[in-house]
Parts: sequence; C-alpha cells; structure tokens
Amino acid sequence: MPQLDTSTWFTTVLTSTITLFILIQLKISLQNFPNKPSNKYLKTLKLSNPWELKWTKIFSPLSLPLQ
Amino acid sequence: MNENLFASFITPTMMGLPVVIIIIMLPSMMLTSSNRLLSNRFHTFQQWVVKMITKQMMSIHSPKGQTWCLMLVSLIIFIGSTNLLGLLPHTFTPTTQLSMNLGMAIPLWAGTVFLGFRHKMKSTLAHFLPQGTPIPLIPMLIIIETISLFIQPMALAVRLTANITAGHLLMHLIGGATLVLTSISPPTAMITFISILVLLTILEFAVALIQAYVFTLLVSLYLQIDNT
Repeated sequence: MPQLDTSTWFTTVLTSTITLFILIQLKISLQNFPNKPSNKYLKTLKLSNPWELKWTKIFSPLSLPLQ
Repeated sequence: MNENLFASFITPTMMGLPVVIIIIMLPSMMLTSSNRLLSNRFHTFQQWVVKMITKQMMSIHSPKGQTWCLMLVSLIIFIGSTNLLGLLPHTFTPTTQLSMNLGMAIPLWAGTVFLGFRHKMKSTLAHFLPQGTPIPLIPMLIIIETISLFIQPMALAVRLTANITAGHLLMHLIGGATLVLTSISPPTAMITFISILVLLTILEFAVALIQAYVFTLLVSLYLQIDNT
C-alpha cells in the first residue's frame, strides 16, 4: 500500500502542519465580520456638575441678596 | 491490477520534485480576504460558511473552550476543501495519506489532553473511572479507559484515511467496470452508471466525514474543558 511508504512521510507531515496551523489560520483570521450598521446615539448625555447634585437654597438667584 | 489500483495514492513527485507540497497548500490559496462590507459572491460565500461553522460548533463550549474557535474552523475547512477537491478526476487527495492524518490528529488530541490536565487535573483523572462501578472491577476499568484514551488519535487518523481511500478505490473500480460493460451490454452499463452517480453523491458527503472528524475532536475537547 503506497500510504505506508515512510520515505515521503516527513515532507507530507511538515507541509500539512504548516498549511493547517499557519496558512489557513492566517487566511481565515483576515476575514472580518463587521457589526450591522446601526443608528448613532444622537442625544448626548448631560453630565451634572458636582455642585448641581446638591441643591442649596443659596444658589437660587431669587434668594441672593439684592445688589 | 494491484499496482494500477493503488497508483493514485502514491505521493506525487514530478521529476524528483515533491509536488505534494503545492497540492497540500492549494486549498489555502482559494481562501479570499476583503475589507469591504459587501464583497463578491465568492468571498460572501466563504464568510457565510465560516459564520455557520462557528455558530454550530462553538455554541456548546465554555468561553475557555471557545479560544479554540480559529483552530477548529480552519481544521474543518481544510479537510472539507481537500476532500471535495479530491473528488475531481485525476486529482491527488492528501487526506488519503496516513502520514498527514496522523500529523493532524496526534498534535490536536495531545493538545486537548494536556489542556485538560493543566486546568482541571482532578476531573480529567476522574474520567477514567465512571460513577458507580463495583469495587473489584476498578483496576480493569482504569486500564480499559486508558487504552480507550490513547486509541483516540489513532482512530481519528485511521478513520479519515480509510474512509476517503475506500471511497476513491470504489469509484475507480466501478468506473472501470462500467467502461468494460459498455462494449458488452449497454443497459447493464447504464444501471451501473446510475449506481456510480448515487455513489458519487453519497461520497460528496465526504464533507460529512470532516464533520465527523471535527466533531470527534470537539467531543474530546468538550469533555476536558467544561464547567468554567
């Protein structure tokens, strides 16, 4: 049976290892699968300043002393 | 007749140059890559195949096992494309060579075993003894389980080799018989030819064989790395 002729085994194993582990993986890893295009979130989130988190009466403009 | 029959399984060399290197590397040259959202049909088809394979194969694994995704997908594409290209007449199929199948099976199987031992030593060793065995049977069962573990790579390689070789041999034999029959009695040749068609269609499910290959590999991987 010609498959049992071990003189060619080294070439075959080496080539198949290189192909399988390097070549094909490189080729498949180059395929990219982008996400489906989706709407951009247009409303920007309003970040509150630290002094706005605590409401203090003195900052209300009507309560400030008249100048 | 023996020599003639097995002639297609000799590793091809052209005037002393090992052409088998180019033949093994040929399927990898057919894989395309593109950065576009919408590419041509060939590339879209490949993308679809890779996506389908990934979804089918990787859903049963834990995240740690899913790191093997690229390896398994490239394995199934390699064996599938090699087998399909070997169905064309007068081509050489590298997967008929026991050397190549052993070279694929042993490193991958060893990788799964070592990974199982590194991460989950106790549960890997526990696989050697199924639950609920009566005490006197324990030594024998451990020996049997060890043997069945070590026979896994051999079975993987020999299964693939034997299936593809047997299919190719059958096609040669039946094709030769049909050719001789056409000069003797055409109706019998017709019937045989139809049976060749059926055989070829069934053999196109050589692709199903790579399914079997990767699934078996997958099963052994799945058994080792789980519960993460």
